[in-house]
Amino acid sequence: MFEKTLSDLIQGLRANKRNEAEYIQRSLEEIQREVQQSDMRCKSAAVDKLNYLHMLGYDMNWASFNVVEVMASPRFGEKRTGYLAAAQSFNQETDVLMLVTNLIRKDLAAPSAMEVGLALDGLAQTATAELAADLFDDVLAVLGHPRACVRKKAVVCLYRLVQRHPEGLPALVPQLKERLDDPDPSVVSAAVGVVCELARTDPRSYLPLAPKLYHLLTTLTNNWILIKIVNLFAALAPIEPRLARKLHGPLSRLVTTTSAMSLLYECIHTAVVGDVIGVPLPVPDAIGRETDFAELCAQKLEVFYQSRDHNLRYVGLVTLARLQARRPDLVAGQYATVLACLDDPDLSIRMRAIEVVAAMTTRKTLVGTVNHIVAQLARSSTVALHPAGPAALMAAGSAPAAAEGDLPQTDAHGTSLVSAQGAIAAPKRDCADPADSPEYRLAAVEAIAGMCSRESYGNMVDFEWYVATLADLVYVAGVDVDRLLSERLLDVTVRVRQVRRFSVAVARRLLADARLAGRAAADGANAATLATAAYILGEYCPLLPAEPDDATLLLLPPGLASLSDDQQAVFVQAAAKAYTNWLRDVAGDWSADAWEAVRSVTASIQRTLAQIFFPDGAAGTSGDAVARLAAGLPLQAGCRLRQLAEIIKTVSVATSNLGDAAPPVCAELHALFTMYELNPVSAAAQGKVPVPEGLDLDAPIGDPIPDTSHKVLPPPPPPPPPAAAAQLHQRGSRHDRGSGDRAAHRARENDPFYLGGAAHGAARELPDVDDIPVMALDLGDKPRSSGGGGGGSKKAKKAKKKHRRDRPRTPSPPPPAVDIAGDEDVPEAPPA
Amino acid sequence: MIKAVLIFNQLGKPRLIKFYEQIGTAAQQEILREIHSLVAKRPDTQCNFLEGTRSIGGAGARIVYRHYATLYFVFVADQSESDLGMLDLIQLFVEALDRSFENVCELDLIFHFDEIHHILSEVVSAGMVIETSLAEIGSAVDEAKRLAKPDSDHSRLGLHSLRRGFVQ
Repeated sequence: MFEKTLSDLIQGLRANKRNEAEYIQRSLEEIQREVQQSDMRCKSAAVDKLNYLHMLGYDMNWASFNVVEVMASPRFGEKRTGYLAAAQSFNQETDVLMLVTNLIRKDLAAPSAMEVGLALDGLAQTATAELAADLFDDVLAVLGHPRACVRKKAVVCLYRLVQRHPEGLPALVPQLKERLDDPDPSVVSAAVGVVCELARTDPRSYLPLAPKLYHLLTTLTNNWILIKIVNLFAALAPIEPRLARKLHGPLSRLVTTTSAMSLLYECIHTAVVGDVIGVPLPVPDAIGRETDFAELCAQKLEVFYQSRDHNLRYVGLVTLARLQARRPDLVAGQYATVLACLDDPDLSIRMRAIEVVAAMTTRKTLVGTVNHIVAQLARSSTVALHPAGPAALMAAGSAPAAAEGDLPQTDAHGTSLVSAQGAIAAPKRDCADPADSPEYRLAAVEAIAGMCSRESYGNMVDFEWYVATLADLVYVAGVDVDRLLSERLLDVTVRVRQVRRFSVAVARRLLADARLAGRAAADGANAATLATAAYILGEYCPLLPAEPDDATLLLLPPGLASLSDDQQAVFVQAAAKAYTNWLRDVAGDWSADAWEAVRSVTASIQRTLAQIFFPDGAAGTSGDAVARLAAGLPLQAGCRLRQLAEIIKTVSVATSNLGDAAPPVCAELHALFTMYELNPVSAAAQGKVPVPEGLDLDAPIGDPIPDTSHKVLPPPPPPPPPAAAAQLHQRGSRHDRGSGDRAAHRARENDPFYLGGAAHGAARELPDVDDIPVMALDLGDKPRSSGGGGGGSKKAKKAKKKHRRDRPRTPSPPPPAVDIAGDEDVPEAPPA
Repeated sequence: MIKAVLIFNQLGKPRLIKFYEQIGTAAQQEILREIHSLVAKRPDTQCNFLEGTRSIGGAGARIVYRHYATLYFVFVADQSESDLGMLDLIQLFVEALDRSFENVCELDLIFHFDEIHHILSEVVSAGMVIETSLAEIGSAVDEAKRLAKPDSDHSRLGLHSLRRGFVQ
């Protein structure tokens, strides 16, 4: 009798702002009682209230059955409440949906058009596969309803049904075609909308409808439907080239005549996307002159992206990006305009503009554009590590939200929404600088990387500037682009020989920055970049004068242990390279001082390693101890650490006494790492290496050895094919493995205790494995360097690589005086 | 296709939530919060389009919104809808509301939350635009109102008489 209505509930909510949750809880308890009552009026009011609370985030699935009861009410108002609640809250798992089949069927056949519409609306929203299959034919029958307001809802409802019940599609398509001829424009519009959706997932099947749509395009005047049809042709035109020619007439006519910006825009967009602008037919303009359609579109598009209206500017840039891809010549003149959009305060516009700018950049404009963007990023207040961080304004996003509560006291009691359109009712918070937004920063860094390396550095003039820019981005990016930057840094250093010296200097600087190292150790930020810098320093350190600090300080930093296994391995490996490089350097100028230096640096590395990896001090500092404990480390790092420990041990032994000349080992150790040079390898190369006849890669190598008391270990399992990107870092491991395999092989051959099929297994398997590269890299017509005799395989490989490096690699003209290495690849295997 | 229609005020309080895909209540609220945070910080001089994010309809989706007095009207649509068309559609919807309520304001939306749904369902059904003529929308809404009226005396009495203090 005294149940609350929806209005009471809302009033109550507004009166109880302080203890809203409690009030809602009380109301929910009331509702729970009310939905159980037999009085339909009460039940329906309760469902209405529940639906309101659902909007505020309260679950109402528990009342599904009551919702169905209300749906079955004979009174339209209550039925409508029920259908609305069902549409808002039911999901595919709602079990009571099994009960509604007949209810909806009955409503679909109701005499009142409104009731049918209600059922169609509700069904479209709640249909499960089962409901869709059961009621599909009923809805199909409703398509012939005398009232247009029912037919249009039936059309869109059928679209939702075939999504759950694809078997109905063949029956729907002819009916849809018929509806395209409907006398009522709304029904045609709805049918076009459905065709549009269907064609988007499967354009080919709806090409037969193109003539019909084309007819509509040329006869209708309703802009809404025209926009829809033009939009639909944007999906169809790319798969049917003949359509472009057909569309040329109507689209160019619309472009020259329409005054509706939205239709004009859609026409230009479709003309560009569907390549209608590529049709070589002239277009007569307003005063009878003939122009090229592409130029006309470009000209009309200017109105959009140069508009003061931000919405037009935004969509103009969207289409400009597409036009850029098709006709760069028409867009090239707009460089300044687009660049200006990069400084727009509107994030959406900037995001579009940066896409266009990245594609437009040429050799002349590259440096200016990139510097512009980097400066933008650097100015932002979000940069944590900027060298001279300006005390910029706080980002507005962090301003505290306005006072809690529902509406301001002076709320919109009398303000008409329509007349107040665009008016700012409440004072706005300061607008955030779009350059602070992580999305923009990410897009900006990606755009820089993209435009600099496009067409294998085709636009690049100054590589040192590029490397310096990448290093700057490490600081100012402000978003997680660690991996991207490290990849780019490595790529340019490996491919462009001339920039390596500079890259080594940059790598030293990056590694020497304690702030970066600190961040990498703390949360992994910049860790990949630092690992790449370590690799570059290790690999190319002979290009600069050797520094003993490289190995001890830069490449074995205190935070190393907190990096990932792979990164640790890269650092340790690089330290070994830098150390041996320095040794070779001092060995060339041997003296008592040099001897002292070698002793102290070697001891210092030993100490550093022990501190990093075995901080509890139990290890001692002898090389043996390090090697023993390295076994407890993750695989990669442990492996490299053992290798470095071995080198240190050798050097310690060799330099235990001061001799007249440097021990030969000092000068020669570095050659371990420079046996031959590494070049970028195509990602597909590994897959192209043909498997020699008779080799089964899946077969285990050798029989398992049950008794581990033998000194000889079973041969290592075949390695997984290395990912191309990781190959550079794996050089050491491949060498090691190669020599290890051979050593094991020899040891096994000589071992009198080795029984298990030794002759058989070793003779069959191991030489084959060694032979793979040699047999695979058949250069065909290329002259092969004859690496004479047994140890020749490595030499042959090296000679081959040198040979490949001299080949022209890239079709695009490289900048003068800079040689950009392309990917190495394996030629296609000759057909067997 | 239109994926969702949301109306909320400047503080992010929902006035209408309509998803044309079935999404859990908590996820709906999450999307509402996210869109509000994106939209509310943009001044009215900026464009009315935002790119969809991962949680809102995927990368292809576009958030089109308009700011009227205290309210934001947001349509989330995929690429088969025209961007400028969506802007016009929001205007059309608001005009339809205005016609129905005569100078519609936020309070109308609060107290007639179901009515707003019914008007919307005459413009957009199952995620598709079904009517763009104000007159057609108006007559359909009126027809439904007439049908619902004889049985809804009680609820109508509710609001008005309560304001006057007739009903306890």
